[in-house]
Amino acid sequence: MAGFLRSNSLISSAIFRVSARSHAPAARPSAVFTRFFATAHEHDDAEEMQKWRNISIAAIIACTALAIYNFSGEQHHEASEHPIEYSYLHIRNKEFPWGPNGLFEHKEH
Amino acid sequence: MSVSQKHPYHLVDPSPWPLLGSLGALASTIGGVMYMHSFAEGGTLLSLGLGMILYTMFVWWRDVIRESTYEGHHTFVVQLGLRYGMILFIVSEVMSFLAFFWAFFHSSLAPTVEIGAIWPPKGIDVLNPWGIPFLNTLILLSSGAAVTWAHHAILAGSKKQAVYALVATRRPSDYRGNFLITSFFTGFQGMEYVEAPFTISDGIYGSTFFLATGFHGFHVIIGTIFLIICAIRQYLGHFTQTHHFGFEAAAWYRHFVDVVWLFLFVSIYWWGGN
Repeated sequence: MAGFLRSNSLISSAIFRVSARSHAPAARPSAVFTRFFATAHEHDDAEEMQKWRNISIAAIIACTALAIYNFSGEQHHEASEHPIEYSYLHIRNKEFPWGPNGLFEHKEH
Repeated sequence: MSVSQKHPYHLVDPSPWPLLGSLGALASTIGGVMYMHSFAEGGTLLSLGLGMILYTMFVWWRDVIRESTYEGHHTFVVQLGLRYGMILFIVSEVMSFLAFFWAFFHSSLAPTVEIGAIWPPKGIDVLNPWGIPFLNTLILLSSGAAVTWAHHAILAGSKKQAVYALVATRRPSDYRGNFLITSFFTGFQGMEYVEAPFTISDGIYGSTFFLATGFHGFHVIIGTIFLIICAIRQYLGHFTQTHHFGFEAAAWYRHFVDVVWLFLFVSIYWWGGN
């Protein structure tokens, strides 16, 4: 039965595998057993490795596409010419140990 | 010491590293305070302390790797202890981020009159969450997928001798791919920090934003180093199909950092930017 269920499609097999496990406890005795005597798992892991490899590659392609889209568009929005100097902005109670500007701070502030 | 050990526990040898690490922490704290108050040689003491901590980390973990990989002290019970330790460490990190989120929501849910009683405060030009922050979300999720890929590659092992070479050459590249991905996150985040129109000294918005995202960015860097170490150890053949807790801890850490980013993105960048 487990063999028949394995031949199902990838998505449904994950669901079926759970039921197959409960019907055939001898094949998958316990979480501890499968972790420390993992040879029974190797086939599944090879499959899973392939699946996650494909997912990773698809994700990297999506990231690359989004990065290209982001950096090709007009990025730099213009800050207002004369920003109002609210009292709670650009707080300076004392000098930084390394000089007048904060880290990651524009020089023109 | 008896030749045969009649229990599964690891009785560690005396080690100088806890003391050296403590002295490093002391020097860093005092040096840090001196540096920030512009005392003479504060920076020197801070650098010395940080150097001592980095050196302690290197040699202490080197010893742990020797004890586990070469001396075989990491039995089932010892590994269980390591699992508890890593879980407690991550829980303590979660608590740090909980505090930063508390500060953020405390300040943003009921903004005070001093900042115009609105969030973001008047005069703060926020970042567009759907630009680089969204890209970084995708990048971190991709790195999570790549970690899972690497994990299954380890679990699948080299059962079939025919594919041994393939698996052996592919496995290190799994990690390499992964820490390249997270390096992109760090790079983009650095760009975003440089280009951000506000800074950490721009009131409560800047403080909560840079504290939370900066602390997260620091954790991404730690996780990246953790995965680089795993890649080197995998390359050297330290991990087996059944015993690779160093990798699992790195994977847990990576997922923790991912989840924190999702909360940062949704609350600070998206909700907090509208």
